[in-house]
Amino acid sequence: MALEDYRAVAMRCNRCSYCKWIPQDRIKSWEFAKGCPSVDYRHFHAYSGGGRMVALLSLTDGRSEITDELKDVVFECTLCGQCDVSCKVCRYDMWILDGAREFRHYLNQKGVVPDAYPGIIAKLRDSGNMAGAQQAGRAGWAEGLGLKRLAASGAAGADTVDKADVLLHAGCLYSFNPTLRGVVQASARVLAKGGLDFAVDGDERCCGGKAYDMGYRDDFAASAKANLEKWAAAGVKTIVTPCATCFWTFKRLYPEAAATAGSPVQVPEVLHTTQVADRLIKEGALRLTRTVPMKVTYHDPCHLGRQGEDYVPWDGKETKIFGQAVVYDPPRPRYNGAWGVYEPPRDVLRAIPGLELVEMERTKEAAWCCGGGGAVPQAYPDFAGFTASKRLDEAKTTGADAIATACSSCNRILGSATAGDGTTMQAIDVLELVERAL
Amino acid sequence: MALSDEAYEAVRSIVGERNVTRDPAILDGYALQMLVELVRPDCSHYMPRAAAIVMPASTEEVQAIVKAANKYNFGVKPHGTGWYHWASPMYDKGSRYGDEKDTVQLDMRRMNKIEIDEKNGIAIVEPYVIHSQLHAEAIKRGWTCNIIGAGSSCSVVAAACAYSGIGAGTMWMGGNAENVLGMEWVTPSGEIVRNGSLGSGDGWFCGEGPGPSVRGIMRGTLGSRGGMGVYTKCAIRLAHWPGRTDWPVYGTVPAYRLPIDETFRVYTVAVPTWDAWTDLYYKIYDNEIGFTLHRQYNLAGADLAPTFWLMYNDPTKQLSDLPWMLEEPGMAELTEEMRISLQIVMAGRSEGDIELQDKVLSKILEEVGGWKVEKYCTEDMAEFTNLYMNRLGHKEINYVYAGNYIGSWMQAGTPDWVKGYIPVAAAGYERDYRNGLLVQAGGDSMMGTVGAYPGGGIMGLEQFVSYDGADHDSCRAAWYHMDDAVEDAKTINYPPGKEALYIEMRYTDEQAFDKWAGAKQPFTYVFQRKIRERYDPNYIGDRQYNWIPEEWEKGEKRASTPIMPGPGRPQPAPEGYPTI
Repeated sequence: MALEDYRAVAMRCNRCSYCKWIPQDRIKSWEFAKGCPSVDYRHFHAYSGGGRMVALLSLTDGRSEITDELKDVVFECTLCGQCDVSCKVCRYDMWILDGAREFRHYLNQKGVVPDAYPGIIAKLRDSGNMAGAQQAGRAGWAEGLGLKRLAASGAAGADTVDKADVLLHAGCLYSFNPTLRGVVQASARVLAKGGLDFAVDGDERCCGGKAYDMGYRDDFAASAKANLEKWAAAGVKTIVTPCATCFWTFKRLYPEAAATAGSPVQVPEVLHTTQVADRLIKEGALRLTRTVPMKVTYHDPCHLGRQGEDYVPWDGKETKIFGQAVVYDPPRPRYNGAWGVYEPPRDVLRAIPGLELVEMERTKEAAWCCGGGGAVPQAYPDFAGFTASKRLDEAKTTGADAIATACSSCNRILGSATAGDGTTMQAIDVLELVERAL
Repeated sequence: MALSDEAYEAVRSIVGERNVTRDPAILDGYALQMLVELVRPDCSHYMPRAAAIVMPASTEEVQAIVKAANKYNFGVKPHGTGWYHWASPMYDKGSRYGDEKDTVQLDMRRMNKIEIDEKNGIAIVEPYVIHSQLHAEAIKRGWTCNIIGAGSSCSVVAAACAYSGIGAGTMWMGGNAENVLGMEWVTPSGEIVRNGSLGSGDGWFCGEGPGPSVRGIMRGTLGSRGGMGVYTKCAIRLAHWPGRTDWPVYGTVPAYRLPIDETFRVYTVAVPTWDAWTDLYYKIYDNEIGFTLHRQYNLAGADLAPTFWLMYNDPTKQLSDLPWMLEEPGMAELTEEMRISLQIVMAGRSEGDIELQDKVLSKILEEVGGWKVEKYCTEDMAEFTNLYMNRLGHKEINYVYAGNYIGSWMQAGTPDWVKGYIPVAAAGYERDYRNGLLVQAGGDSMMGTVGAYPGGGIMGLEQFVSYDGADHDSCRAAWYHMDDAVEDAKTINYPPGKEALYIEMRYTDEQAFDKWAGAKQPFTYVFQRKIRERYDPNYIGDRQYNWIPEEWEKGEKRASTPIMPGPGRPQPAPEGYPTI
């Protein structure tokens, strides 16, 4: 959809401000009623999901122009999607998260982006990854783990395979960030222990998800094309990843990218490592025998939780029934957070002996964002830190020893928040906890 | 006079760089409002644009801003959560009577503190505390609060001090207008007035005294709607909550549920005729049963509502499923069964209490020929109703069909009196939606609380005429329908309903003064002028605080342009629109 297509969304916004809060029914306290980090930080209505749509309308109505303030309105947002969930509690015709992404793309195409963006995208263009690191070192995390590697990655040796049904995709952060690398290593060891037969790509390419969120859709499309073609050539049927952003990108964006490109390539099944671990535990393939005496709270990553619903292809149009009631023909997938990946990570945690899972108030589709998405840590670090600190404050109310998550961005920023806060609470990945129980 | 740079700098020095803006795209976030297409020229989506948005963090900052307004001659329009078109400034540039000053919008978002006096059942709240926040904190402590009809996302201070305050729980708990205690008010001249016991330094517990009681000026029936100064804090009386304190909501969005406490009962009941309906209400009043009572679900239209809510409560379904679901076996019968129905939550303080209330309700239903709607009294639907009625967290669903609706009629009176306009309102909607430019939900799309005053006695029904704000023809049809509703009311000698308040927003100041000078009790507006002169001598307030100038009082001046029919009515009428 083009920017103009979201004008109707703006005109159908009645300014109820539900987008600023978690779903009203789920509010259990004054403190944790808020849902939108962007408006909580910057306060002006334009920073809310609905307010952003009004800014879009104002611009396309010719009532305003692109300014630095408008740029911040559009980009100082983690694209967490809480606004979209809350709006859709009562509406079937509102698409404010999609509109927010379209607005970014629109400004990006006009050359209006936060100062940090050119440097970020240059890394992807120059290095093939978001870290700007030497691509040759991409699979360094896998050294010594005895994992199979795709021949297409340039690997050679006894562990090289031409084909692999299952590919473990690490993601840029887990590949190159030395403090986070342990997550993908633990994930690989756990899955191997569970008997999963998988390979890794030593020359993994960035999923392109962050580029998409930043508005660089051509760069995203290039990543998608390259990855899909490589996977097809390697016969990959299932992608498994510990990174929620990669998970979302592969699952939700790649099918549409393939369709847009007219590509015959099929997108493999996409699974998060917590889903696979959950399955292996329930099948008895992974036996957790060691006690992990910890109290842990779980943070739902936006891209695994409310944005982690299955992709449903749709090529329809808006129509009306009962005179003016807005519907879609064929029915449009709602993507309202109802069917995100919420239980598998929790089931995994509950299966760990000695571990006590305690929940924060804002969970699942109502989870407060960590602050790590939408390229916000790079472009608006104070805002990112503010958002993370709020989540950490909430985690502390549970009395937990650790905040567990299932996303590289969440892990990184919550880890920074815990370190900066001086708290004893640690940020840890679900699979790292599983490994402790093996 | 446009907002000068000097004035802007003065405001910026009060609140800080981050909390003030003049960026047009951000300003328009405050100009776009619900229902605006029906009152602005050419069905524009925008109310007048403020000259700046300012966010104060304290009463002192509010006072400083107001004093700056007097010094630099600009208007001040505060809002809480800002949901309704009169949250925005009323005045286009140059349209204010006798003055051309710009208006600065105060977004009270940064003033959001809450304090609960658990022992005395009082909450002290700042303007950006919303009802669900207060409700959530109160419930934990065994208290609860009346949640206004506009729902849990609205400002408690705004509802208590500046507008209406009625909700589903009003019959039991009182409306927010009754429940407001001490209030803190920054007058348009920049004084800080602390009302009631607060004003004498005795705390928040009483809105009448021993300190100064200006409650009638501050509150009134409708409230000043942001037109007379800024309310910066108030205390509100809480009510005893006899239910569980942990609020264990569960379910898949949007079909959330709240288990029903053992001493609660939740029903949807129905009656065969409107005569039986009035009897039902009077008997409920007389027997003092019920905790939250509302004809809520019918907002989706009597022809569609019973099926609509079943659709809504299935997370796998959406609005496009409604047509085929209506054809399912049993749905036509259910629709007829629920044609005159409402929702009742009863809360007992003991098992004996709730058993008695239950028996009383059953007896009442027997006497009026009513029944409990079995399909809606299953555990599943009753738990949904329990949550919906106690939290009122679904009020955005008023807009479910196409994003916009007119909340019209709703003249308040006894059930017998309200009964008089029901068929006229229904017939009018049916007449006007035949051309397909309004949502065809059934002429009776009326919703309303059972009791608008504590103990009942008075109520009203709001007609939900849904239209598509993104469709210009639909907007024009809604505009015409609103005018027609006024005419329809005249045919039965009823006063106009809520639409009259909306239509007033189309008026210039002169046209508004004309209307008020012609009211049956114009002295009200004369007196309000005197109040305004005392508290707002430089007229920095907004027009919602209705008054008439001396020239109109003396009949020396009239509006230069007539005010009826609906000023600014877009021409031509939408194609196929019926004439009445």
